[in-house]
Amino acid sequence: MLISRQWIESLLAPAPGGARLDDDAFADAITSLGLEVECVTRYGEGLRDVVVAEVKGIEPHPGADKLRLVDVFDGERTIKVVCGAANVPDPGGKIAFARLGAVLPGGFEIGAREIRGVPSEGMICAEEELGIGPDSDGIMILPTDWTPGTPLPEAVPGIEDTVFELGITPNRPDALGHVGVAADLAVKLRRAFVAPSDTLAEVPTDEGLVSLDAPQRCGRYIGRSFEGASVGPSPLWLRVRLHRLALRPINNVVDITNYVLMLWGQPMHAFDRARLAEGRVVVRLAKAGERMTALDDAKLELVAEDLVIADAKQPQALAGVMGGKDSGVEPGATTLLIENAWFQPGFVRSSARRHQLSTDSSYRFERCVDFGARLQGAAATAERLLTELAGATVTGGVDVGGTVPVPPNIVLRAQRVEALLGMRIPDDEITRVLTGLEVALEPSGEGTWSCTPPTHRPDLDCEEDLIEELVRHYGLDRLPSTPSVPSEPPGLRVDPGQREADEQASLEDAVLDAMRAQNLHEVLSFAFTDPSDLEPFGVPADRTVTVTNPLRIQTSTMRTHMMPGLLRAASLNLARHARAVRLCEVGRIYDWPESRPQTSGPTAEVDAKLPREQRRAVFLICGGARQAESYAGSDVATIAASVLGRLGARVQLRPADAASAWLHPGVQARLDVDGSPVGEVGEVHPDLMRQFEFPEGIRAYYGELWLDGLQGGHVARHQTLPRFPSTSRDLSLEIPIRTAASSVVDALVTAEGNAEHTADGPRLSQGDTAGGAIEIVEDYRGKGVPEGHRALLLRLHYRAPERSVTDDEVQALHAAVVEAAVAELKTAAASIRVR
Amino acid sequence: MLRGVSDDVTQALGAEQQRFEAALKEVGDADALYELQVQYIGKKGSVSKLRGQMGKLAPEERKAFGMAFNEVKKAIEAALEERKEAILGAAREADLGRVEDLTMVDTLSAVGSIHPITRTRRELSRVFRKLGFDVVDGPHVEHELYNFDKLNIPADHPARDMQDTFFVDGQSTKNDSNLVLRTHTSPVQIRTMLGREPPIRIVAMGTVFRKDDDATHSPMFHQIEGLCIDKGVTMADLKATLYRFVSAFFGSDLKVRLRPSFFPFVEPGAEFDMECPFCPTNEAGEKLPSCSVCKGSCWIELGGAGMVHPKVLQACDVDPQEYTGWAFGFGIDRMATLLHGVPDLRLLFDGDVRFLEQFPC
Repeated sequence: MLISRQWIESLLAPAPGGARLDDDAFADAITSLGLEVECVTRYGEGLRDVVVAEVKGIEPHPGADKLRLVDVFDGERTIKVVCGAANVPDPGGKIAFARLGAVLPGGFEIGAREIRGVPSEGMICAEEELGIGPDSDGIMILPTDWTPGTPLPEAVPGIEDTVFELGITPNRPDALGHVGVAADLAVKLRRAFVAPSDTLAEVPTDEGLVSLDAPQRCGRYIGRSFEGASVGPSPLWLRVRLHRLALRPINNVVDITNYVLMLWGQPMHAFDRARLAEGRVVVRLAKAGERMTALDDAKLELVAEDLVIADAKQPQALAGVMGGKDSGVEPGATTLLIENAWFQPGFVRSSARRHQLSTDSSYRFERCVDFGARLQGAAATAERLLTELAGATVTGGVDVGGTVPVPPNIVLRAQRVEALLGMRIPDDEITRVLTGLEVALEPSGEGTWSCTPPTHRPDLDCEEDLIEELVRHYGLDRLPSTPSVPSEPPGLRVDPGQREADEQASLEDAVLDAMRAQNLHEVLSFAFTDPSDLEPFGVPADRTVTVTNPLRIQTSTMRTHMMPGLLRAASLNLARHARAVRLCEVGRIYDWPESRPQTSGPTAEVDAKLPREQRRAVFLICGGARQAESYAGSDVATIAASVLGRLGARVQLRPADAASAWLHPGVQARLDVDGSPVGEVGEVHPDLMRQFEFPEGIRAYYGELWLDGLQGGHVARHQTLPRFPSTSRDLSLEIPIRTAASSVVDALVTAEGNAEHTADGPRLSQGDTAGGAIEIVEDYRGKGVPEGHRALLLRLHYRAPERSVTDDEVQALHAAVVEAAVAELKTAAASIRVR
Repeated sequence: MLRGVSDDVTQALGAEQQRFEAALKEVGDADALYELQVQYIGKKGSVSKLRGQMGKLAPEERKAFGMAFNEVKKAIEAALEERKEAILGAAREADLGRVEDLTMVDTLSAVGSIHPITRTRRELSRVFRKLGFDVVDGPHVEHELYNFDKLNIPADHPARDMQDTFFVDGQSTKNDSNLVLRTHTSPVQIRTMLGREPPIRIVAMGTVFRKDDDATHSPMFHQIEGLCIDKGVTMADLKATLYRFVSAFFGSDLKVRLRPSFFPFVEPGAEFDMECPFCPTNEAGEKLPSCSVCKGSCWIELGGAGMVHPKVLQACDVDPQEYTGWAFGFGIDRMATLLHGVPDLRLLFDGDVRFLEQFPC
């Protein structure tokens, strides 16, 4: 929203003492009201040397057909200038003349020049060259009664101005016009607000002009009819004012509606009454399927919810949003119907959104403009200007009302002001500010007032709203910095929900630190992605979570898997440089679960409508160009073990029950903790490497941990260290290559568990060497081992807790274990045998 | 006869000693030395065996033989020890001659990193915990009820336009699911007030989404939001808390300034700025106007704040006459880019390791 300093000043009484704030201080004052000044632009500096001048004579240029030599009188002397414009007026006409030394917008300084051999001392200017209008078709023709020598900025005050761009928050519809900003500033600056004094002329009531068929949607409609209007260009001052506020001058009638919009913040509309069937309007709901062409040529198909301003036959405007093409005011129009109305904000917003039209009008109506004094003031200003500038005569009018909001009655307590702010505001300041803001104030006891806000402040709805008004004007910068004492010391009471939140947070922290310690770099990927990235991960479309209005396809689907994010990042890295890539991420994946656990609690009902969000910690490594940096699947397995170890969990690597399609079928494993799966590791499937455009021959390895299934805060218990030595037995097994070593180990552990034991006899036990109770010493493939098989050399450690064991008893147990285990293994792979 | 035995044994002892000494000269390493030790004075060694002959001697001869045996054994042991020292010494010398050039180790790839946003989140979390706040988070996909309605942002109100919202299809219904990607962390305020009794002191931190994408806006970013609900909480307390936070976070005494503004869920509402901690100073300690971060204004805009709107309290069954509260919020990404001098938000989400490794801690 653009605000002209000059216009604002015209709405304020002079400052006490007459001191003028500089533009920066003025901007600070506006900002301190919560109307943030985002940009300050000064116009017209350097145009003091552009003056009104009179054409004295015109002669052809000796050396150019399209140029002419013009004698101009600038109030002091007559100067010969070269001019290329076709519309130079005859002698006696007035033009804008830039003297030598004038600086035009863009820093262009006028100097003495020679044009095709003829000296030219100055320039006759077009609007556009002076930056005061869009017209560049020819030079400006000024009224003939203007006095030569008058600086143009004096003749047209709006030329020299400062324009502030304000960011108006949606709660302040009153500040969407100069009147509202000036009224607010008046209170801040302690200057009186001088409202425009226009009043509506007394005219016969014309009941037939407006039929209000939808009073619940239109709270007020002031219709005024005019005759004898002459549509043409606006005077320069109006054109300049609109141009300064970035509005394009069109014709006097349209310009007046825009001027009123910017002055009062109240949208209005002008119909060419001659083009309205029966010359009247009907405010009614549209019929479904009714059609209308908007001013901007958009073809609208209306629905029954749309409010329209129709004539006797068909819609002529989408109420509060945009006028129709068929009844717009164009040159030649002489009779007008002028609308100043108030429409229900929510419905204007719905209509504007439905038809994807956002206009200055709908913007204001949906924020709820005034239906009271300001609406009437706007109608009155428009009426005066139509009379003055378009020669129109008002012939009749009607002011009909529907449902409007009732301003609330609010009790304001000085004690509440202090309780909320932590600062006292004196009673006289309270009354000064609120009265200044046109809040009707009635004392109703000691330090208590009964307040009714004005109709142009629909945002003032409760006591706190009034307190905000007070603190805005009293000054938020006067607020002290005083800590209040909490009613109980923080941290005394630990909410059960908080304990869980803290555990989750510390689990994520621990995992992230552990991954970082594995030389991984944490990345953050977008939580949404391209659906084709997610295809390999097999979540069906009806279980994926979809963004209704994505920016583009890449932000359209909530990720069901973390791998694509890391693959994208890794692929990007390899395209940019030749280094090894080691990435990790902690994030969430999203899906619609097939079923969900019953929950209770205050948010359960809402939560049941939300998708499932699961937490994942993932990592990916792939070698760069250097051979030494190429990795193997064992690297990600080790990382997983180390990261889980940081949580106090002992990981077991097991073959997956069903292979994950996104991992290499021969290089993947499930991660188990305490017998439950908590993640997986493996090599990224070659198909995915191709899909994500990795260079040929590069392999990537991936691991993920399912954080929701993991416990943080592990408190380890001490176990007595063994006092007696362990004894080991070796076992060499011939097994198929695809039989996992872990299956062999598991079979041996199960067999040992089922074997007969004496109370104090030997058991399989962590040996005194590096590995576990069962170590895999060698994995041999080659000579002496049949095709498709490998020889696994295992070392089993036995120990009794309280005594030394004898060879015989260990041998007996070992033999029983091996026999049972091999029998079990043979059921899955018959070719297994002891070597 | 008996004398003969004694002579033989003594002679054998001497012979073994000579053989040992000869063999010792050939020994070059610790393993061979140990073998020699076993061979001669081990349990079944050739010298040790001779001691077993003692039983065959006449009692009066035993003492002399015993003394001789011990002498030989000691001599052998001493020689072994001496030799062992020599071998170890030589091995040590050789070992000390070894060279491994540690200056050529690739230290770059030995360092992992924590993302600057995570680092900032952790730092925020540390400071706010110290100030007595619990740290919480909530779902990313939210219901409009929590993301908007209960925050005093009714449907069909222009305040909804303040945030460009990503809507989410429902599980079975494509339209009117009322689901969104949360546009701010404020729904966590609602969840917390619904789930807990006052007093409440929380900060909610996490990922949020808005339909916006350019050098200064990412469609996914991170926010922190503070909420305090208690009896007698004032706006002056909010200011004091913000002051304590920025000072603790940046480690120096930084002023906080509030400017009136509008957020539907607070009343009065404000934006808050902090004194710029990055301004260069001259020798006298005065700030210079050349600061590239605050552009010489000496203030940095941080975020929004205000007193929790009574309608929000009521929507969460908190009595606004009994309790008051305040809330504030700001962007974590911006804080991270300020702290680390990152010029473009998009760098944060690229995952280029050359960017990430600049933040090893």
